[in-house]
Parts: sequence; C-alpha cells; structure tokens
Amino acid sequence: MRQNRIGQIFLLAASLGALLTTSCTTKVAAADTNNNDDVPGMKPGIHLVSPLPTGDWTLATGDYANTRFSPLNKLNTENVKNLRLIGTYNDGIPHGFEGGPLFVNNTLYMIEPFPNDLVAFGFDKVGISKKWFYSPNPSNRAVGIACCDVVNRGSTYAGGKIVYNILDDYTVAVDANTGKEIWRTKVGDPNLGETETMAPQIVKNIVFVGISGGELGVRGRLTALDLQSGKILWRAYNTGPDSDCLIGPDFKPFYKKDQGQNLGVSTWGPDQWKRGGAPVWGWISYDPGLNLIYYGTGNTGPWDEDERPGDNKWAITIWARDATTGQAKWAWQALPHAGWDYDQVAENVLFDMEWQGRMRKVLINTGKAGYAVLMDRETGELLSAEPFQPVTWSTGYDLKTGLPNMVANLETHRGKMITGICPSNVGAKNYEPDAFSPRTGLLYIPARNICMDKEDTPVNYIAGTPYVGAKVLNIKGPGGYQGELVAWDVAHAKKVWGIKEADLGLNSGVLATAGDIVFYGTMDNYFRAVDARDGKLLWETKLGSGLVSDPMTFLGPDGKQYIAVYAGIGGALGSVAFKSISEQDPYAALGAAAAEANIKNKTGPGGALYVFGY
Amino acid sequence: MSSVTSSLVAFATAALALSLMGCDQQPLEVAPTGAASATKTAVGPIPGSGQPLPVRSNPYAGNPTAANEGYQFFSWYNCSGCHGVHGGGGMGPSLRDPVWIYGGSPDHVFASISEGRSNGMPSWGTKIPEQEIWKIVAYIKTINTPSEIDPPTMPLATQQAHEASGNPPASPPPAPQP
Repeated sequence: MRQNRIGQIFLLAASLGALLTTSCTTKVAAADTNNNDDVPGMKPGIHLVSPLPTGDWTLATGDYANTRFSPLNKLNTENVKNLRLIGTYNDGIPHGFEGGPLFVNNTLYMIEPFPNDLVAFGFDKVGISKKWFYSPNPSNRAVGIACCDVVNRGSTYAGGKIVYNILDDYTVAVDANTGKEIWRTKVGDPNLGETETMAPQIVKNIVFVGISGGELGVRGRLTALDLQSGKILWRAYNTGPDSDCLIGPDFKPFYKKDQGQNLGVSTWGPDQWKRGGAPVWGWISYDPGLNLIYYGTGNTGPWDEDERPGDNKWAITIWARDATTGQAKWAWQALPHAGWDYDQVAENVLFDMEWQGRMRKVLINTGKAGYAVLMDRETGELLSAEPFQPVTWSTGYDLKTGLPNMVANLETHRGKMITGICPSNVGAKNYEPDAFSPRTGLLYIPARNICMDKEDTPVNYIAGTPYVGAKVLNIKGPGGYQGELVAWDVAHAKKVWGIKEADLGLNSGVLATAGDIVFYGTMDNYFRAVDARDGKLLWETKLGSGLVSDPMTFLGPDGKQYIAVYAGIGGALGSVAFKSISEQDPYAALGAAAAEANIKNKTGPGGALYVFGY
Repeated sequence: MSSVTSSLVAFATAALALSLMGCDQQPLEVAPTGAASATKTAVGPIPGSGQPLPVRSNPYAGNPTAANEGYQFFSWYNCSGCHGVHGGGGMGPSLRDPVWIYGGSPDHVFASISEGRSNGMPSWGTKIPEQEIWKIVAYIKTINTPSEIDPPTMPLATQQAHEASGNPPASPPPAPQP
C-alpha cells in the first residue's frame, strides 16, 4: 500500500516534471560537453584542456581539468543579486557536508556524509522534489576511524551510473534512473584504519579511487575499477617496491632526487613503508590529450618525525600516471620526510598557458604546505612555487633541484614543543578545491592562515587505531585574519586581491562562471557571490549551518541557470563546532580546537542541500 | 489510531486478560531472582523490579601514581589519538565534559574500554590487561579535577600570540569540581 502511494507520488512528480520540461524552453545544449576554447572572452594565451560542463554537472570536479569553471553566463554580475532560494532538503545529519551535488538529465544527485545516502531530486512547480534515495548502509565500525569527521566529497556520473565511495571502504555504482545498486566493490579495510571519503574520477571505462587514513598508518594507493563490473583492474601504491608503485620503464621524474630504484622502500626504515600513510583523498585530474591522470599523496605517517628517518617516498608527492595502465610517468615529492601533516592532495588544475614567452602544458597545485606550485605537466618540471599564505617552514623552492629551502629548527622531535610553524597541520588550504577562470586568468584559492605549535610523542602502531605521535596546537596566523579567498594571478605568480575572514578559516570550495561570478561559502554560514575580477561582493545569504562544501551550477529543466550548494559544518576544522569536541582543550580535534575556539558561537551542525534560482 | 483500530485493540486486550485469568497464570518474572545476571554494567534502565547490580569499584581510585601510569597508557594505546592528548575529543568524543554516552561511572568507563562501543571504539579487553585498564580509568577520572595529570595549557608565548591576534582565550583553566 505504501509502495502504491509512493508510486503515485512518483508518477505525479514525473508527469509534473514532463509538463515543465515540454512547456519551458529546451536546454541550450543536450550534450554535456563543449569544445575547448570556445568560451567568449578568454584571456589570450590560455587554452583549456578538457570539455567544460555546459548544462549538466556530471563530474565531482566539474571538468577533467579541475577548473571548476562553468561556461554558463545567464547569471552575471548584474543579475546575480536576484538569486533566491527555490529548494532545500535535509535528512538531519549533523556532520560536515563536503563536496557538492551532480546534475544529470534534469536530476540533482546529493551524497550525504555517513551513512552516505544518495538522494535524487527532480524539479516541480515550486522547487525540488525527492525522487528516490539509495542507502548503502555502511558499517558504523568506520565512524571512529575517520580522522576528520565522517565526510564524503561527492560522486561522479558515467554511463548511466552514479559512482561514489562509502565510508567503510566500498565503491558503489548506482543506476542513475532507478537508484538500484549495480555493483559494490571492497577497496579497503576499516580494521586497518582505512576509510573512503574522496570522490571517484572516471575516465573512459575506468573508475579511480584512493584511500583515506594518513593518521592511522594506512598504506596509501590508487585503485582502478572497471566501470561496468566494478572489478579491480590494478592498484598503484604510494610506498613499497617499484612494482607495487607501478613504476616501470616509462617513469621519468624530472629531478634527480626523485630518480632511483625502489625509493618507496629505501627511503624508509625497515618495514615502515607498510604503514607510512601517503593516502589519496583529494581530487584526480585527467588530460585527454596526454592520456595522463594527476593526483597528489597525503602526509607521511606518523607525524612523529623521530619514528621514521628518511625521505619517506612517495608521501607528499604529485603523480602523473597513464590513465589506462596506471604506469607512472613522473613523480615529484614536494617535501621529503616532514612531520607537519602537509598533504599534497590538492587538486591539480590543468590548462595550457604562455609562461616566460613559451606555451607550456601546466598544472597548478595549492597544497597544505602553502605554496602555489606551477609545473610542466608533461615533464614534472617545477616552473614556479610561491606562497599564497604566510609560510615559515621554508624560504621558497629551488627550481633547479625541485627541493624546498628549509628553515632550520622548525622540524619537530620528541620532548620539545616547537612554536611558530606556518601553516599548521590543517594546511594553508585543505580538501576544498580552487576554481580557475580562463576569462580572468585567476585561480581562486580558499585559504587559511593558521600556524601551529607541535611536539612529537612516542607512537605505537596498533592496526585500526590512530598512528599520530604528536601534540598539536593551532593558532591564528600573522595579520589578524584566519581565512582568505585569494585571487591568484597564475601568469605572474602573485595575489591580486583577497577577501579575509577574521575569526574562522575558509573550508568551502569555489565555483567560477563565465558570468564572471565566483561563488564560495564560509564556516559562519555565509554563501557569497563576488565579482571574479575584483572580488566585489555581489550577493550573499546566510544558510542554516556553516559551509565546507563545493558550489556547482547547471541549467534546469526550464533552461535557467541554477546554483546548488550544501550547508553543514564539520570536517577537520569545522568539527570543533560539534558538542563532542571540548572547548576546554585547545589540543582537541588534532589541534584545530585552539584556532576555532569561537566557532560554537557562530555556527552549529545540521547539513542541508540548497538550490538557488532567479 | 482510528476509532475502529482502537476498539479492536481494546477488545483484544480484554480477551487476553480474560484468557489469562481463566488459566490462572501468574505474571512472569522478568528476571528470576537469585540468578547471576549476564550484565554487570548496565547502560540503560534495568527492567523489572530494579534489583541493584553489583558495582565494580576501581582498585586505583584516587591513586595518583596509578593515574600517572594510566596517562602513559592513554598515550601508548593511542587513546589520545582519538580522544585528544588531553581528552578534548577528535575522532572520538570528548572525555572532558559531563556527557558520557555510555555512562561516566568508573565501572561504566571500564566497560566501554574493555568491551568497545559501536561507532568505532575498539574492544580493548582483548589487548590491554585489566589492571592497566583500571589505571586508564583512574587517569580519565582525574580529568577536569584539581588533580588532573598534565592539564591542557598553552605555552605562554603561544598564549600571548593568540591573544595578540585577537582570538578569545582558548584554554580556560579547568574548573575544579567538588
């Protein structure tokens, strides 16, 4: 009987949807791809390398190049002020909502934090309506081993399937029309401290997923699965012998320091590579021309530096790999050995541009260590590395050796609290992705200005429990602010403008559009649209909780441009807003509590989807 | 509930009462008295006549040497990795506040550690000897008291930098409890 009623509601919604679709203007483009370089007003000397999302938004990353740039321009700097809420939805989940929805074939898809439901929405006369939901029912065993709240960073659509990861280490493919599970593949083990939080990337018929758990002694890796069957095709580890790392004859690192045999073993103490961290929990880019994927690896484990002498490869590294075979093409370790928890997992944003008089195929990466790193993505050569937030651990990079120039006495050891390390373990930027506009040539970086004190402590490896070995305390960095949306001129490697947040770090991703609007959110509930050229505030609203999510845009069934975003405080910084974290202890939440001591006065948990139209 | 349904329920209840009376049955005891109960550390309410359960007391209660050792174990067994180096919480909940999901009495804390709890608390009874668990409990019970082992304080220089940057004091002194 209940089934029948649901069926009736569904039919009603479906027919309403059909009515709406036929009565309104059809979409500009039926296909969700676009040729490169046909965005009007693109800056001379910049070329895009992958198709942009023209009406749908099918990849968690927007496009393969991770620009998070939408060519839609129905919303512009003049009319964006007319945005109004047209729909909202919540399941009452009081955790961090990272990532963002997808929009495919007039359906909006939302992935929630643990227990990781997938919810599909259609459009009706008033707003959005729930079509169906899929519950993967992950084991709550995984909840207690998620380092930084039970987040999920989104899903990717391909071949009629929504593919995403669930916290207890399964990748699932769900029928995008019916919500029925098509396959489910085990890609990790919670008993080893492993969790899944990242959004998969899908290239042709291959699904790429990483693994989280850099604070629990995991062995980081990338797993490739067949899109149709879910079968595991290959694995590329970040530590261990070359054969495990898929390092073969094609491997040509640019710098001498990264060349040699079995560095994934020889740069560690005995057997330490087996629990050395180097997880993969950020974003994956793809260059269709070179058929290479790009992604970064996380921090070295444990944070206690005395436990693991050596360079500890391939932690804190950027990989370029063949997208079909997984064979490594090049690697660059951004920072050997360090114990500051500087994951290098930030998205690698791909485009071609003129650099010092010559066209280069580049990638830019803004990692936790605080540098905007510009590289030649064919060769792995470092072209430029400049700090986008205060950095004390080094004075810059040596472009000839590919190594940072270290500042003495900031490395940490047991028994002594070292003060004034900037950035802190939460990073100058964390999971939250940048956006790049080819119209302005600016990279929009959601950054934090947080420093730390750190003291290493003896550490004991017990599978499935934290493997950290450090006392950490975060404090606001110099200059009287803690978060900043930075507009970064890539060609000149410098900041052009910034919008500062006094009391809280930034934790939301950024969306840039051809209407020259940049969208982002703050941890104290603001959702904002600013002018992509000068940062002028165009529109803002306050949502029901803090934003640690990634806004996206699409053309609805009526042909109008919509913006969708989640609110829902949580994640590494935002979880200090939870009642389960004591404000009495500045060392709580792996040190974040001290910096975000005021957050409980500004926001509270409660995740929801918001859709804005005009 | 519709009126039809409620009349049906009333009818069924009456019929059941009648049939029970007719069979001359005594109401069933929820737990036979005198039998050893399987659970020694009940978290929820106890059904039946409310027989008090035996409470295990911590052999190291109030023993500062044991609490100090417990603090070492708290770090060594990676409790600090989840609950924070001073118990303020992180991956696991805070141990500093009055909220105890599975009970805050020493025997409840002992049971949570040894049996494990859902949402990721491991069952440490398989790994840590009983006496060491009691020492960890002894440490945990010093948290937020004047005898707390290694209470959370900011280094002075950091505290000054913190205040100079306009942040509120992040580390109020632990409130002594009676």
